[in-house]
Amino acid sequence: MITVENLVKSYNSTRVLHGVCHAQQRGEAVVLIGPSGCGKSTFLRCLNQLETPDSGRITIDGVTIDCGHPPGTNHERELQRQLRLRAGMVFQAFNLFPHLTALENIVAAPTVVKGLPRSEAEARARELLGKVGLEGRAQAYPAQLSGGQQQRVAIARALAMEPQVMLFDEPTSALDPELKDEVLRVMRQLAEEGMTMLVVTHEMQFARDIADRVLFFEGGRVAESGTPEQIFSAPQQERTREFLRKATVR
Amino acid sequence: MSNFWRELRACSCGLLALLFFTVGLIPLDAADGLREIQRRGLLLWGADAEGGAPYVYPDPQKPEQLIGFEYDLADALAAKLGVKARMVQNQWDQLVPALERGNFDIILNGLELTPENQRRIAMSQPYFVYAQQIVTRRETDGLTGMTDLKGKPVGVLSSSVAERLLEQIGGVDLRHYPGNVESLRDLKAKRIEAVLMDLPIALHYAQPDPALKFSGAPFAPGYYGIGVRKQDALLLAALNQAIQDLAADHTLERIYRKYGVWDERQARLKDYRAETVVAQKSVSTLREWPKYLPLLLRGAVTTVELSVLAMALAVIAGLFVVLVRLYAVAPLNWLAKAYVEVIRGTPLLIQLFLLYYGLPEIGIRLNAFCAAILGLGLNYAASEAENYRAGIQAIPRGQTEAALALGMSRWQTLRHVVLPQALRVVIPPVTNDFIAMFKDSSIVSVITMVELTKVYGMLAMSTYDYIGLGLMTAGIYFALSYPASLFANWLEGRLSHDHR
Repeated sequence: MITVENLVKSYNSTRVLHGVCHAQQRGEAVVLIGPSGCGKSTFLRCLNQLETPDSGRITIDGVTIDCGHPPGTNHERELQRQLRLRAGMVFQAFNLFPHLTALENIVAAPTVVKGLPRSEAEARARELLGKVGLEGRAQAYPAQLSGGQQQRVAIARALAMEPQVMLFDEPTSALDPELKDEVLRVMRQLAEEGMTMLVVTHEMQFARDIADRVLFFEGGRVAESGTPEQIFSAPQQERTREFLRKATVR
Repeated sequence: MSNFWRELRACSCGLLALLFFTVGLIPLDAADGLREIQRRGLLLWGADAEGGAPYVYPDPQKPEQLIGFEYDLADALAAKLGVKARMVQNQWDQLVPALERGNFDIILNGLELTPENQRRIAMSQPYFVYAQQIVTRRETDGLTGMTDLKGKPVGVLSSSVAERLLEQIGGVDLRHYPGNVESLRDLKAKRIEAVLMDLPIALHYAQPDPALKFSGAPFAPGYYGIGVRKQDALLLAALNQAIQDLAADHTLERIYRKYGVWDERQARLKDYRAETVVAQKSVSTLREWPKYLPLLLRGAVTTVELSVLAMALAVIAGLFVVLVRLYAVAPLNWLAKAYVEVIRGTPLLIQLFLLYYGLPEIGIRLNAFCAAILGLGLNYAASEAENYRAGIQAIPRGQTEAALALGMSRWQTLRHVVLPQALRVVIPPVTNDFIAMFKDSSIVSVITMVELTKVYGMLAMSTYDYIGLGLMTAGIYFALSYPASLFANWLEGRLSHDHR
């Protein structure tokens, strides 16, 4: 479903990704953990081209992009769009559109991008709001929703495009502890339904519960990978052990 | 700034003077101007050297030096009074109010001896006999008399005798110019069919031009006199004596010959008999408002048309400019940035002159209305582009990322996510600009548009009631702009309620 070959990314002269490789099966839930600044968010953002990698190759659901430069031709732009259509993204800061209601936030992309009829898009949006437990808040504006509710709308918004893969970039980091659970519950449900997921998070218990595989990122590389048991119970690397010790103490 | 403010200032000064008058704080007629002139050894004479040949104008060979038959005459008059002369630059159609304000001692600048002027100020005996001359393009036939001009677009100098003559016969499509050079230029650009002007001006500017000709003989002779404040009786007497002396010793003839304006008409100077002019009834335009308000309102309609159309152009062109600047590829976005900087860094007045008088030289001939809308609109487009840029850049980057991640193209992101949010940010500054446009639009009177401020100026010039008309005009401007600002407040409130 996802294949990443030798992904390299630098900001100015600082290299943040040192040739990352990754392969992920359909229906697999992979969790990225690692210290701040290790490149895990950058990796996620490269996957749907919010960042332009220096080199490497990304394939998602059969759409392949050879990285190295921003899209110049119409063909390259279309390829980038196709890639993004296959990968839904959920941000740390939610990034809901403040001028639109919860329902309109979900309806916008399917109508604008896919040309879905409005009635159809709205029916689907209400269904998704129900799925994330917000059927009553369709007409609320983002500012009228709690952080947890906003993030659940954001998940519904991404799902409305029917992506093959869901990318979560620290989806609960901006939330108070009591609001995190409602978001994690939705994500857990998605994983159980067999969604292919790639999650950057600091929630170790959550990672342990839902991940089929855990990647430990360190210094722009995948330092260690394995099942949750392998990583959390018997980490091979000293760095991983140290990180986990700090993370669980915290 | 606009004429409007300048005139409002003149108006408020008038108000102050009026106050002092009534309270009697300043005994205005106590000291005669003549004593003051002799005390300081300097005669200050008001004139307009802009396009002022052959009266007073910068020497083409030595532009820092003024010359002209009135310049020489001022020197000769000052010598008779035993002092030196110094010219004070002042816009021609504002010379009378400026004299009354005390900016200078006398007006010596082709001021016609008309009852209107004599009611307002004292005038000396004449020093020059002028006549009216019709000027046309060389190939034009038949426009030899005033009645031939009916129905034709004809240029005149603002508040000149030519303007008054054509207004009296009626039916002429009058275009009012701030100077004489501009009207002849428009004549050559075929925007107008003829210009009616004082003969000396025609001799200097039109006769040497092969593209133009004098059409018919000069007519409607009249006299130029020196304008003096009414209370300066001694000064007036001294000037009259000086003019007689200069005529008698042929100094006048010598000066006029030097500038090519001497003709047999000047012999009539001797025949002049001062007529007694009925003292001016002070006109209160406020009391007679039904007569004046409709005229002002007609000007206001033009102001509204101009402002609304120019603002519409600015809003659309500004959007285009900012989109090119922010999203287009390298050479294009530089052009957009350069456009904004150049437009903001140069005066609107110059831009209007270039559009209206400059473009015809490369074959693009806009009428005054189009040039006004284009000038105002393109000028404001630059500030709207900057407003939009601030609005667009105020939208967090996460909004764009979210839209792109959903598969929207750059344009869809802009159209559905960024611009709708930027709109809210941008409404207050754009409305401010719209209100400013109402007032700034008065500047287009320099390219012959007759809008509210110009109507005010023309009425004030003929009634001399700067205060009453000023209040009415200011009232109309306020009545136009206040609803606009109310509407903006309402719109802003309505659009932002969903944010919080």
